[in-house]
Amino acid sequence: MNAPSPPSLATWMLEHWIPGDCNDALAGDLLEEFRNGRTTAWYWRQVLSAIGVGWVREVVNRRAMVVFTALWSMLAPGWVLVVAALSQRFEVNARVLSLEFPWSTLCDLGLMLAANLIFVWAGILAYLIPHLWLRRCLRVRPLRRGILASIPVLLAVWVALIVLPKQFLNTSAGSRPSLAPAPAYTITGLNPTEVRHITPEQTWDVLYGDKPAVVINTPRTAIIDMRTSALLVRLPFLLCILGALWGATSHSRQRRTGMTI
Amino acid sequence: MILLAVIHLGEEAYGVPISRELEAHRGRNVSVGSVYAALERLEAKDLVSSTLGDPTPERGGKAKRYFRVTRAGLSQVHETRRVLSRLWSALPELKPELKEVSL
Repeated sequence: MNAPSPPSLATWMLEHWIPGDCNDALAGDLLEEFRNGRTTAWYWRQVLSAIGVGWVREVVNRRAMVVFTALWSMLAPGWVLVVAALSQRFEVNARVLSLEFPWSTLCDLGLMLAANLIFVWAGILAYLIPHLWLRRCLRVRPLRRGILASIPVLLAVWVALIVLPKQFLNTSAGSRPSLAPAPAYTITGLNPTEVRHITPEQTWDVLYGDKPAVVINTPRTAIIDMRTSALLVRLPFLLCILGALWGATSHSRQRRTGMTI
Repeated sequence: MILLAVIHLGEEAYGVPISRELEAHRGRNVSVGSVYAALERLEAKDLVSSTLGDPTPERGGKAKRYFRVTRAGLSQVHETRRVLSRLWSALPELKPELKEVSL
């Protein structure tokens, strides 16, 4: 007679969803107990609990990274205003508009992505260089891995936020709905040309809506802005930097864990 | 508690028996994943050490991970026992209603 098999989905989750090294001993223990008469419900409970415990342990182990990322992403609204001010000062929008389609659109998207990536990469380097230096393992590979990982993560988070139900992320500035961090003209009905001709002081209001009690016209006022729309601006940066740093440091951590067993 | 369970089980201290031991004494279900998480924390503090056994077919070809208390772990257990004993002996006489609760 064949030995009973546990739910294959639960076993797959056990092998793939626990961060760090795959814990073969735990998988074997659960299988042994299951074959000794434990129920399927018991097996599922153990697997979900092991995944939860694994992630909590991982976050606690990386608490410095999580705190740093949260603090760095707090600066994101300030960066948005700095970019808007620089763009106006050097008349970037006028130059982009003077190009033929599709180059104008490609340039516009490229510049927007570049502005965000500069902020993300600065955060990654600001964490990784001292982190790796202190551990005496400063190498190019984790830096490169973190920087490269940030691009798909940032794009994925943007797409996810754009396709999320509008009601969930909707903030309003008068009659103008807004959705961070999507470009204003995709959801406000504004013509891209109109968006490009607004002042840095108006940028925040047009892009993120939700008219503030104080005028958001300096990086400092943007950084301390705690409204929902400001938090939504920070969210993609938070997820992107955290994902990139997580990926960049996971291999060295796994090597260390493997050595202790 | 986990250190005591590992000491009690001796050579047979791996995930399943440790969890059963804890379940038997606590009277409620124990998550094997939590037991491993605690054991790994103790291993990081050099209070226990682990070795892998041979893979067996009834475990799907997965090896058992045996745990053993180190010398530092043993002295930690004794120290904890001493501290707890001192604290208990320093407690004033329990009121009757508190005695009933503890029973």
